[in-house]
Amino acid sequence: MNIADIVKTLDGTLVAGGESDRTVGSVVANDLMSDVLLNDGEDMLLLTSLASDQAIRTANIVGAMCVVVHNAKPLPKTMCQVADTLGIPLVSSPLSKYDSCVRIHDFLAAEAK
Amino acid sequence: MAEGYSPKILTGGESKSDDEILAAHDKVNRVSGPGLPGTGDSPLVIMELLQRLRVRDVMRDHDIIAVSRADTMARAEHLMKLNHISGVPVVEGKRLFGIVSVNDIIKALEGGWIDEPCQRHMATNLVVLEADMPLAFAIKFFQNYTFGRFPVLNKERDLVGIVSQRDVTRVLMHELTSEIAKLEGKAVANGGGAAGGEARSEGALPYYSMRQFIVVRNDLSNAGKAANEIKKMLKDAGINNKIVRRVAVAAYELEINICIHSLGGSITFILDTEKATIVAKDRGPGIKDVEWACQDGTSTANDWIRSMGFGAGMGLANSKRVADTFDIQSKIPSGTTVMCEFMLK
Repeated sequence: MNIADIVKTLDGTLVAGGESDRTVGSVVANDLMSDVLLNDGEDMLLLTSLASDQAIRTANIVGAMCVVVHNAKPLPKTMCQVADTLGIPLVSSPLSKYDSCVRIHDFLAAEAK
Repeated sequence: MAEGYSPKILTGGESKSDDEILAAHDKVNRVSGPGLPGTGDSPLVIMELLQRLRVRDVMRDHDIIAVSRADTMARAEHLMKLNHISGVPVVEGKRLFGIVSVNDIIKALEGGWIDEPCQRHMATNLVVLEADMPLAFAIKFFQNYTFGRFPVLNKERDLVGIVSQRDVTRVLMHELTSEIAKLEGKAVANGGGAAGGEARSEGALPYYSMRQFIVVRNDLSNAGKAANEIKKMLKDAGINNKIVRRVAVAAYELEINICIHSLGGSITFILDTEKATIVAKDRGPGIKDVEWACQDGTSTANDWIRSMGFGAGMGLANSKRVADTFDIQSKIPSGTTVMCEFMLK
């Protein structure tokens, strides 16, 4: 699952951070950044409702390949700037975090077959 | 002008003790908003430097370019042009009578009194510094006033020097370089692993790098920048990705902790060939129960912090989890120091 797949699956829009050819290695859905930092998974797809610079900085610390913010939350300009600076794709999705989890799960399950 | 004439001095009255000066300085900071560069949220080494250094340490105390009261404004203008300065004190013996500034020269040229004596047109409402004042005071003066230089008086009210912004910068740069060299010296000594930190152990490569980052209280918009920089340093040094991530996680947690729980502080990162070390130091208020604070899920965070995605009470526990060695020292109210070490091999 790559960035294009994420955008398509979650009816989302790539708003910052640019394209990337990395693929999803693990998925974390969380709004508490300390919890996110606890995860050791590689190439993390971070699903969150936290629309702040810290979501991107946290993603960078754990080497996440993409951050998705849900419920079409308005994204602060600085968040997009940080995503561009750190080169972390930032996707905005109108879906709830729960719906995203279901769709991502289904996609990865189908991909694994 | 009568011999007994003396200029009206706006600041720096009778000599004061250090405590009085610092108390006055604090008061100035409080009423004027943001504090001095180097106090408030600046690194301790700079704060200490600005309090340790005195105005006398930076002032120019010889070859002071000055005019006498009887000298003409044209003479003052000539001296300013010749020496590329924006003002000259009017002095006789050690006694300061006034200052002639570029503005006074412009007015003299426009008004046609450039050939008249300085004593008629010099500024006499003077702002002066005292030689014994901490350098922090001088920096505050340069912030608060538009003057490019200040006369410096001693306790006897004699003119003993002139201080310009350039003088301050020159001495500060010199002192900072010296302080950094001392810190780097410590880093080298500690990085080698030899007992007592006296020398590097055999086999250790002769290089290291060190950086210090300032963490400002409640400045969540910038929190995380230090950790990201540290991560970049490690990646640039070719360190294993898993170690990079562990160090970055600890740096980030500690940085956020300083930001949201303390009065501000710093993150110092030292990298040598054997280990990476993070020292997170804040200026208070300290932790009442360190053991409790290091447990998972314990937090004193408020709703605002939680709304920003933090305050789950994992910070210290997370840092401890990823580090090879973890040490925390805390004292109320002076602050907390956390040190995490990560072996690179």
